[in-house]
This record gives sequence, structure tokens and C-alpha cells, in this order.
Amino acid sequence: MTALRSWEGLLFAVLVLIYAVNALNSPVFLTPGNQINMFQLSVEKIIVALVMTFIIINGEIDLSVASVMGLAACAFGWLVQAGVPAGGAVAIALAIGALCGAFNALFIVGFGIPSLVVTLATMIAFRGFARVLVEDRGIGDFPAWFDTLGQQGLIGPITLAIILFAVFAALAFLILQRTAFGRKVYFIGANRAVAEYSGLDVRAVKAKIFIASGLIAALAGLLYAARVGAVRGDIANGFELDIITMVLLGGVSIFGGAGTMSGTILAILIVLALRNGMALENITGHIQTGVLGLLLILSVMVPIIRETGGRLIGKMR
Amino acid sequence: MRIPLGTLRILVLLAVFAATVLFFASQIDGYLNARLFNRISGSVAVIALIAVGQAFVVLTRNIDLSIGSVVGCSAYFTGGILIAYPDLPPLLVPLLAMAIGALFGALNGFLVARFHLPSIIVTLATLALFRSILVQSSDGSSITTDRLPTWLTEFATQNAFTLGELQIRWIVVISILVVLAAHIFLTRFRAGRTFFAIGSNPDAAAFAGINAGRTIFLAFVLSGALAGLAGFMFLSRFGNITVVAGLGLELKSVGAVVVGGVNIFGGSGNLLGVLIGAALIDVIDTSLVRWELVSEFWREAVLGLLILLAVAADTLLMRRLLHRKGGSA
Amino acid sequence: MPPVLEMRNISKSFGGTAALSGFSLTLKPGSIHALVGENGAGKSTLIKTMTGIHQPDTGEILVDGQPVTFRGTADAQRAGIAAIYQEPMVFPDLSVAENIFISHQNRPTLINWTTLNAEAATMIARLGVTLDPRRAAAELTLAEQQTVEIARAISLNVRVLIMDEPSASLSDHEVKRLFGIARSLRDQGVAVLYISHRLEEIFALADTVTVMRDGKHISTRPVSEVTQASMIAEMVGRDMAGRFAREPSKDTGETLLSVSNLAKTGAFCDVSFTVNRGEILCFSGLVGARRTDVGLALFGVAPADAGTVEIAGQPVTITNPNQAQSLGIAYVSEDRRKLGLALTEGITANITLPMLSKYTGAFGWLNRMRELTDAQAFRKQLNIKAANLTVPVGTLSGGNQQKVMLAKWLNTRPRLLIVDEPTRGIDVGAKAEVHQILRSLAAEGVAIIIISSDLPEVLSLADRILVMREGRIVGEFTGDAATDESVMRLAVAAEVA
Repeated sequence: MTALRSWEGLLFAVLVLIYAVNALNSPVFLTPGNQINMFQLSVEKIIVALVMTFIIINGEIDLSVASVMGLAACAFGWLVQAGVPAGGAVAIALAIGALCGAFNALFIVGFGIPSLVVTLATMIAFRGFARVLVEDRGIGDFPAWFDTLGQQGLIGPITLAIILFAVFAALAFLILQRTAFGRKVYFIGANRAVAEYSGLDVRAVKAKIFIASGLIAALAGLLYAARVGAVRGDIANGFELDIITMVLLGGVSIFGGAGTMSGTILAILIVLALRNGMALENITGHIQTGVLGLLLILSVMVPIIRETGGRLIGKMR
Repeated sequence: MRIPLGTLRILVLLAVFAATVLFFASQIDGYLNARLFNRISGSVAVIALIAVGQAFVVLTRNIDLSIGSVVGCSAYFTGGILIAYPDLPPLLVPLLAMAIGALFGALNGFLVARFHLPSIIVTLATLALFRSILVQSSDGSSITTDRLPTWLTEFATQNAFTLGELQIRWIVVISILVVLAAHIFLTRFRAGRTFFAIGSNPDAAAFAGINAGRTIFLAFVLSGALAGLAGFMFLSRFGNITVVAGLGLELKSVGAVVVGGVNIFGGSGNLLGVLIGAALIDVIDTSLVRWELVSEFWREAVLGLLILLAVAADTLLMRRLLHRKGGSA
Repeated sequence: MPPVLEMRNISKSFGGTAALSGFSLTLKPGSIHALVGENGAGKSTLIKTMTGIHQPDTGEILVDGQPVTFRGTADAQRAGIAAIYQEPMVFPDLSVAENIFISHQNRPTLINWTTLNAEAATMIARLGVTLDPRRAAAELTLAEQQTVEIARAISLNVRVLIMDEPSASLSDHEVKRLFGIARSLRDQGVAVLYISHRLEEIFALADTVTVMRDGKHISTRPVSEVTQASMIAEMVGRDMAGRFAREPSKDTGETLLSVSNLAKTGAFCDVSFTVNRGEILCFSGLVGARRTDVGLALFGVAPADAGTVEIAGQPVTITNPNQAQSLGIAYVSEDRRKLGLALTEGITANITLPMLSKYTGAFGWLNRMRELTDAQAFRKQLNIKAANLTVPVGTLSGGNQQKVMLAKWLNTRPRLLIVDEPTRGIDVGAKAEVHQILRSLAAEGVAIIIISSDLPEVLSLADRILVMREGRIVGEFTGDAATDESVMRLAVAAEVA
């Protein structure tokens, strides 16, 4: 517990540092416009990172989230183009997302195949379905209300997506840290056998979070479609890396059982500020992703570095 | 008579492969012609190489998701070096590409073997990291065919020999030789068996005095080197290398390995199966493009479902098999 | 003949508890030497010291009269010492032949499968067994895998082969074959150290037998000079000071649980018994007697195949832990670290886990104050020593972990409490406390089933004792009438001579 608290302390210090450096480097960084823009440009990823936190603490992984985002967005586009009212298309796209999650859960919970393998396969398959729907076209021309929701401020300059993120972040925090469901998520991740011996409904919990993951990813995909105003087959491609990086950087253990929602939220802020700072310095997206990759390796190595450092200090004494 | 499980797997794969080819032959006019064979064999050559590399890694209970980026990087850097030094002896060039790939693989292997980091995380990170190295060094500029020596761009279509109308290209010959060499290494050499041993039972391997760290490191280096060789072929086939070269190849390599019957939890598998798996995936990929009934955009969806089906069938089958054993014990 | 391996005055302690104290053993080539002792007598520590997994604190190990130091299993293997265990350590995906020759460093780089298979076949034939060297180890039965392990040991020119409970999971037929192998090894000059709970096997197989107790050497005699009764007396003989006092029974005479003809294939059969409210019923027997399986069946973790269970006169079919819990059954596992507690989680969260619904309000909201209040009550009642109730249970001592586990299940307010090895690996003070807790629960009218391999514990706690052996109940005692020897005699199946 102490170690975790200090990990969050470290994250907070890093965050302050990044903010300070960015602010010194660019007068634009701290302006409200840029801060809102910073969230707006990655808002879909950070929404999915919240539910990914549940999945990884539970001892699983979902590599298919970005493909579900793409599939939901493309399904929406396809439906609108086919003349379905946009409201109905939103509902169907969300249902497709939940179905994708249920499909993952069927193989993971039902057949007992590791989530890594299942979601690696469905990551390809769901992306494939997205491409089947829109092929190599781009679909745009959504109803004005849809584009407006994605692009314009709802409360002052703050968009719907950012409001949703704030609401979801609060909800995710409360569910994970304050409810019985959250407690179950931790125990199942920490020691599945203990959870089963204690009469917990392990399979139901796992199925629920995978379905939630599909649903939330679909919503994020729709938000992305609304923000960009168009969909393409490769929409949200590769987002899973950013999302997983945020969660692991937040101190969630890849082996499950450990981590907190506040850690994830701090890590989200770090990643956003880092990307925004680099963008202000005109560093391209690919390089930004590379830096994130480096950050991911560093974050899984921190326990080792700390241990080795401790041993060295011990030796010197 | 009982057929060993491994042989049975290969036979089933061959049957599935034959059925797939026959199916497309019945659907597509003029499917079974030499030109198609020549085209497909060239791309199978590339997939088979990276699938073999992936198989080494998967056998040890790990995974290498950075392969696509390594292919892109080694193609790009090899091309760049060739443009700077066009007089390099041609034989040296593929070796150079392999060395570049091996270097990337060594970084993966070092992180996984030395610090016991989960390979999925490490290679997910290096997938992005290597790609960004490529972007950074290319600075947006691309390798183009006209800047490369002609011997290189012609190499991909040069035939080693022809069988009637079938052209057997050098890259296919090289790829098959690599698969065979790797197969012989894994089945006939003591060092090859350690890959199976540490994937099969890490505890027992430690007990038997096998150095797991060294073997895992080697697996990643091999995976990198073969991705490098694939990068050389990629360069030769396409000539134009952009920052997206090799994108997504890691998924095809995992697909070929899994469909080819390598246990995703390590310890068992056969490279001949992997070769058939690579061919199967590529045939489906290429044929869907020509099948009029279904849009070519089904390729990825079919690949994903194929992988899922292969893993599910294998898992459930093996479980039933082991259950039966458990019951009789 | 000079001894091949000598252990001289070996002592080894773990955290202040002596597992071996001044233990000596001499193994001669061409002999089968049996080692017997109760659970916890120090046998496994001894084996680990011989095979280089543990290093002795004091004392000497001599091979061929020369003092040696084993830094790891590889050193012991080089000296020709190998061990096989109840659960074979094989590579499931590799063939029999490869499994045998896997750790041979001096074989050619290139594998000649024909030669390898032929050599493996020879090696297996030396054991008087036929086994296709090309088969994958995963396809073999447990007994066959064991044979492969023995063949591996022989191929490394084993001179001392330790067999730790090798017969525990084998059928009669397979045990006979194992004996044949052991004898042929003896005839080839190997020193076999045979460890078994089944005393009759020792008379059938061994020529010398050593009894150990509480980490000490008690006696070493030719088998011809001992009887089962004398061995049992030496295994259990202990000072009266080590005993806990008995207390009067709180049995109400009102039957809570009634089990008849409970059976599970491959585990146990014909298990029938009753427990009353306020009664403490102990299942005694040796490790592997399948007592835990009965407990797991009653708790629904591994449900029984046949038989009937009645709780308070109502017939029930228990299929999962959740349902068992709602019937008022609680099961405290023997394996704290793997099945009992989530070590990285806090004390309070571990205690309330099975009863989360009790603390859950609207929207699944947890009432953490209420959790804390209950946890504090248990902390006081059970005297759990911890800095605070949020520390991870992994940081607590074994005794305190055991108390947290008891608290976790007492919190479910069980009518029937099944406790598996309630005091394994905890110190004497905590042990007495746990015993007192169990007694006061009985006084409150809880029916208690204790599964314990610790005979003094059983004798001091039990109102009634059921002895199990190889999946069957083989005898029953009232707590007052039972003695160390009478229980042990049934547990090891000795015909009273």
C-alpha cells in the first residue's frame, strides 16, 4: 500500500515536472484553449483506458479495444449511409460493441482461452469487419447534430466527450475503489483461487468487464467519428498501445491484483501533457508513440531499477 | 495404427490447405495458373521467414509483436546503406539486413531474458519504438526503386529454376532453405531441443540445468535476424520503402504460427506446420482479392477468425486429450 | 562395503524452528534403506539437504568418505544423487527418450534419433519395463512418468536414488512394478532411500529402516529386527510435555451434518459420518489419505459423485462454494498462501470477502465503516497482531494469517466449520490460541470438522476421531479412548502383531 502511494506520488511529481517544462517551452501550453485541445485530441483513448484498468487489474488484457472502436465507428457510418437514422445507428453501434465484448468473453470465460490470444485474434477480426463495412472509402456527411456534439463545446468550450470522460473517471474511481464489484475485481486479479473459494462469481465478473470494455470502446469509437466527422477502415488503428501504456504507467500490474484508478488518471494526464508538449515542439505522431513505447518499458522496469538501486545502496553501506 | 499427434496435425493442415485451394479453384476462373503461383510464392516466402522467427519465440512461451517494425527498419536501413554504398557486394547485403534485424531482436531479448519482463509488454513497446526510429531516421523521405541498384530490384523476380510454367524464384528457394535449416536445427540439434524444453516445463528445465535466459535471448535474436532477411526480400520485391513498411506483419506471423499448430503456450510445434500455416494464410489473403462473390476486404476478418478457430480447436482438443489421460491414470 | 553417502550431525533451522537437529544417516551401495516418520518429522528437509536444494547449518555430508558441499541440485547430481517425487518432473511435450537424456551435457551436438531411442529403450529395459521411447511424456500415466524419471537418474549414473512417497498415487499393479525397479537398482549397486507412509511396503522392500521424529534420528535397524508396532511407537513416542490438555466436550447431541456413502472417483468412497452441533470431529490420517477431498466435496469446490448429505435433517446437493456458504458451511483451507488469502490485499478486505453482500448498499456501495468495525471486533476476539487493518496479510506472521483466515470464515457465521490443518507451520503460542478459538466456537454450538495430521492436536481437541486411509474411513475413536499408537496403527494399516 505504501509502495503504491509512493508510486502515485512519483507520478504526480513527474506530471508537475512535465507541466513545468512544457509551460517554460511554450507560452501556449497553459492556455485554456490548448488544455482543452489536449484532452479533446485523445479523449477517446483516455475513456477506454478507464475500463482497461479494470481488465488489467482483473489479470486479463483486451487488445481488441481499438478494433472495436473502429468497427463501431464504421458500422455507424455504414448505417447512416444506408439511410438508418443517426440515433438508431448510434444504438446499433453500441450494441455491436457490447456484442464484441461478449464474443471475447465467450472464448475467455466460456472456453478458458487466455485473453491475450483471444483478443489478439479478435483485434484482427474486428478490424477486418470494419474494413468489410467501409472498404477503402471514407464515409462522412453525418447529421449536423452528431458532428456538433463531437466538435463543439457543450458547457462553454468543453465538449461532450470531455464531460463524459470526467463523469466516467469519477464513476470508474468509485466503482473500482468503493463498491463490492471493484473489490471483486481486485481479489480475482490477486488470486483467482482464493476468490473462487470465497464464493465469488469469478466468471460473471470477468464477462461483465469484457462486455463493458466492448461497450465503452464502441462509445469511444462513435465519439471519434463525431470529432473527425468521418470514418475510415483504419480509424483508431493502434490505439491499444497508448491505452495499455497509460494503464501500466499508472502502476497497474500486468499480472493483475494491483493498481489504482487514481494511478491510471495521473498516468493519463502525464501521457496527454507529454504528447501535447511534443506536438507543440512539432514532433510527429510516430515519434510521440515511440517515446510512449520507451515510457512503457521504463514503467515495467521501475520495480527492477528500484530493487537493484536498493541493493547497490545496501552494498555501499 | 496410431499416428503421432504432430504428424496428424501436419496432415490435417495439408488437407485444409488443399481444400482451400480447391475451393477457390471452383470459385475463381483460371485460378490454378502459373502466374498466380508465382505471385503467391513470392509473398509466402516473406511470411514464412517471419513466421519461423516468431515460432522460435513462441516455443519458449514468449511472443514477438515487434516483427513488423523490424522488417520495416531493416528494409529501410539496408536500402539506405545501399544507396550510400551502391558497390557493396550483393552477397553481403542480405547478411547486413539480418545483422540489423538481429540487433533489434537482441534488444527485445535482453529486456525479456535479463529482467524477466513480460514479452508482450516489451515487444508492444518496441513495436512502437522501432517504428519511430524508422520515422525519425527517414525524416519523411522514402527509399525509392530508382535509387537502388538494379541487381537488387531484379532479384525478387529472378528464377532459381523453372518447372514448366512454374517459376521458382530465388527468394522462394532461400525461404524454403531457411525453413528446412531451422526445422533441422529444432529437431536434430541438442541446442534446438532446449527451445522446446523451456517452453514445455520451465521448472523442470531449470532443474535439468538448462539456461533459459540464454535460449530466450537467442530466440529473439533469431526472430530479429529472420525479420531482417524478410526485410531484405521486402526491399527487393517492392523497392519503395516508406515509414509504414512491414506494418501489421507481426499479426500475420503470429497467425501463421498458431494456425501452423505451434502451441501458443510454448513447448510444442513443427516448422513444416508453420510453413503450411504461412502458405494457407497467404493463399486465403491473395485469393479473397480475386474472389468476386466476396469483397477483398474480408481478408483481415477471415484471418482473425481463422486464428481464433485454430487456437480454440487446439485448446479444446488438447484439453479433452489430457482429460482422458487424467481419467485413466 | 564402505558407505556411498553419509550425513553427519546435520542441523537445519528455518526462522528459529529446527527442522533437523543433529541428524545422521549412512547409505550403503546395493541396499534399500527405508525412512519413516510422521508428517513434519523433517523428511522433506532431509531430502532437500541431500539434493542440494538446502544447505545444512551445521554438520557434514560425505560422498565416498570425502566431505562435499552441494551448492545446488547440479552439484548433487554430479555426485550421483538424484530424487524422484510423488509428482514427476517431466517435459510433457518431449518424448520419453529426450526426457531421459535432457541434462546430458556430453552427448553429441547433432541428435541421432535412432541411437537416442535405442539407448533410451535399453535404459528403460534395465528397469524391466517396456515403454515406447518415442511417445510424448504428456501421454504417459503418472507411473510411467515416474519410470522415465528413474531412467533419467540411472542414465546420469545415479548412485543414491531418493524415492519420496513414490507409491502414493499409484495403483497396486504399478506399485509392484515400482518395487521391481527398486530391487533391480539395488542389485545394480545403487543405494535407494525409500520414503513411505505405508509401513507394509517397508517390510516388502527395504533391508534397513530409520525412524525419525521432530528432526532427530531415533533408530536405525535391519528390517528383520523391527515390527510395525515398534516402528509406530518410535514414530509417535513423545514427551507428555508436548501435549495439550483436553477439555470437556461441548457436544449437544443434536445432529447437524449427516453424510452417507459419499464417493468421488479417484479420491474417496463409502464415506459416512455425522457431526453434532458443538461437537469437534477430527479426521486423522496420513497425507494423501484423501481427507481434504472430503472437505472440498462438502464445501462444493470439488463436488462428490455419489452419496447423500443432510444438513439439519434437510437433504442437500452441494455444487459450489457459494451454495455451501449459504447452507452455513465454511471451509478454512490448509493452503493459506494459494487458496486461503490474497496476500497482497489488506486484512479487512480479506476478512469480509465471502460476505461482501452484507456490507453492500445501494449501487453496490461498500460500507467500509461497517467492514472496519467487524474486522476490529475479530482483531480483538482472535488477538490478531498487526500494525493496522489495512496492511497486506502477506506481511503478517503465519499464526496471524491463520487467525485472519479463521476470522474470514467466522464472519460468515457458519453452522459447520471445516478447518484443514488449522495450525500447520505456526508457532506454539499461536497454536494454543487457535485451539482455544476452536473450542469456544464449539461451545457456541458450531459443529466443527478438523482435518489434521498433527496427532497431539487431534488427541487434545477431538470429541471423536475418524481415521482415513486411501480414501476410506477405517476406524473411529472417541476422543478419550484414542492414543497416539492406536490412531497411527490404523492410519498406516498395520495389522496388530
